[in-house]
Amino acid sequence: MPGIDECLLETMRLPGARGAALVDWTSGLALGTVGDPPGGDHETAAAEAAELARLAAEQQAFGPGDGKDAPDPPVEDLILSNRDSYHVLRFVPTSFDSSVFLYLWLARADGNLALARIRLGEMAERLVLG
Amino acid sequence: MTVVDSPPPPRLPVRDRATAHQRVGGGVSPMLTRLAEERATGVLDREHGTLHLAEGRVVHAESPLAPGLAELLTAHGTLAAEAWLEAEDSADEGRLLRYGITPGALELAQVGALHDAAYFALAPSSTPGRFRYGSAHWLASVHPVPVAVLEREMLRRRALLRRIWPDPATDRAPLIRADPVAAPTVPTRQAAVLEQVDGVRRAVDIARELGRPAFHTLVHLRRLASAGLVAPQPPPAPDAPPDDAAADPYVALLKRVRDALEAL
Repeated sequence: MPGIDECLLETMRLPGARGAALVDWTSGLALGTVGDPPGGDHETAAAEAAELARLAAEQQAFGPGDGKDAPDPPVEDLILSNRDSYHVLRFVPTSFDSSVFLYLWLARADGNLALARIRLGEMAERLVLG
Repeated sequence: MTVVDSPPPPRLPVRDRATAHQRVGGGVSPMLTRLAEERATGVLDREHGTLHLAEGRVVHAESPLAPGLAELLTAHGTLAAEAWLEAEDSADEGRLLRYGITPGALELAQVGALHDAAYFALAPSSTPGRFRYGSAHWLASVHPVPVAVLEREMLRRRALLRRIWPDPATDRAPLIRADPVAAPTVPTRQAAVLEQVDGVRRAVDIARELGRPAFHTLVHLRRLASAGLVAPQPPPAPDAPPDDAAADPYVALLKRVRDALEAL
């Protein structure tokens, strides 16, 4: 998978995908967006999702409880649900200092949350590891 | 007594807030907007940094106030320093990829570094910018950003910092730890920044030390400043009277609020 756009387009091939973005959770920058924006505007949605991701990533309480050193960030993904959709945020681990996550907006009627979680994890890894 | 109806005084010119906002939103740099319209290729030198353009889009940025792409990639061992130098000397993006960095990772790092340096390059400046037409930067194809998108993002970033803590003093000055009486717990990434605060280092020095984008460091520092953990190094004051009130956490809080209000 060559780059950001290809990664996002592949995310959109998931059944029920409404929109996707790659977002930096420290600055709120949308590095790439595709599909429909949640709430009507990609940039606003990215900034708001970034705020949520930051809160989750900064709290040690959400890290693993196995006593080993927690990775940075300590969480893998975040899932929000509402009446008709899911919002799935998947943190992207990189070998340099960054703070990005993949953000998928998924229709509840056609989407498969378990499949989306697995595929987002794979895509986050392939984006940086090739 | 006769009452003379004097004509109403002429209306004072008032800046229309709606259009003023639009004007600001449309042009961080009018020169850059013009270069985008003419699809120019070359290098725009500004007071605090440099923007590289290719066909009117920004493809690379550098600033003395932000660690460059090379520093970000080599600081944590993503790429060996020699590998970067070799790729830069031959201006060959393909070499970077052959040394093991993936196209996705390179694009992520480049978008981050571009926006980071552009934030400083597009900061308000006291001297006019200078544009040199020329050939495109060797990393021009990695991730070009339209000028309008970049300018909107820069305004959003300024607003973000202002919202966290309105006093910009921590952005440029040497920093000291403030050690308040009841210190809140600090998240890991902010703690790494806090550990680097030693009375000498500025935000950009800390960013270089950590191999982390400078704007991210500014964000962390503003959060630390709003928590009362970091303050700019005050200029040396001769014979300052002993300040008993400084020990009182409420007085210290009130002072920080006053400083923040003054900075608004």
